[in-house]
Amino acid sequence: MTDRFKYREDREAYSAARVRALEALLIQKGILTDKSVDTVLGYFETKMGPFNGAKIVARAWVDPEFKARLVADTPAAVAELDLPAGMAGAEGEHMRAVANDPGVHNLIICTLCSCYPWPVLGLPPYWYKDPTFRSRAAREPRAVLAEFGVDVPESQQIKVWDSSAQIRWFVVPERPAGTESLSESELEALVTPESMMGVALAKAA
Amino acid sequence: MQIRFEHFAVTEMMGEPDSPPRANGTLCFTNDWERTVFGMALALAREGHFEWDEFRDELIAEIAAWEEANPVDRSGWDYYERFLAALEKAVAKSGLLDAGDMATLLADLRAA
Repeated sequence: MTDRFKYREDREAYSAARVRALEALLIQKGILTDKSVDTVLGYFETKMGPFNGAKIVARAWVDPEFKARLVADTPAAVAELDLPAGMAGAEGEHMRAVANDPGVHNLIICTLCSCYPWPVLGLPPYWYKDPTFRSRAAREPRAVLAEFGVDVPESQQIKVWDSSAQIRWFVVPERPAGTESLSESELEALVTPESMMGVALAKAA
Repeated sequence: MQIRFEHFAVTEMMGEPDSPPRANGTLCFTNDWERTVFGMALALAREGHFEWDEFRDELIAEIAAWEEANPVDRSGWDYYERFLAALEKAVAKSGLLDAGDMATLLADLRAA
């Protein structure tokens, strides 16, 4: 074996320098511009991601009528909010929200990894596509949720929603107790992707 | 409405050997150069300088080679180092840079 993977002392700085040199050269040759990286990554950082889901859930928490509309017709309700264009796009147009309440806890799973409400939840965690997770979540959701640290009381029913190419589910978690005085934007900060997948509860900060 | 290239490209990687690190539903970059190298690869593929799948083949091969060379102690693992190596190969194969360009690159690196 060669020393191909032998590490330098200045490993990080060396990688950073290599990337800078490559980018500079590609810009100099007119292949990229100094905006290219920000443009493609802006899509993930500002347009499509869990911050959209957090806005939808926070609105549902402060406006029960919006919440009712959201569950009845998710795309129409989402369109009421000032979210980036494309929210109701190829995936978004089939989005469906399900709301947790004291009687029901909802959990989303998927058959294929691409079936994920990406515009509102962002990128899925690594275990989401795991066949073991998927089959166990369908078969014994209460046990799987307990392993996630979510102890669902026996009095609460668990519903498992399998996303497909037609429908992408996401969960509206229950508003945490003690958050009555928080503003809508403060509430947004309490909404995690995991809570919108149903593998966590939203918690007061 | 068409699915955006960025969306297609990144979701294709999910759950595959070349899945990028993520946290809380977003891509997770520890250092700025990691963000830059990821963005450059996406931008070059989006502009058609190489196919995203060709780049991913390079990346998957880089990851496999590293794993083969480090079967036990994997504490030195760095996803974005492999990503950078794969991008350099994809750029060279695509003919975007020629021998003179590579010399410039090395000179820049020495000066950096």
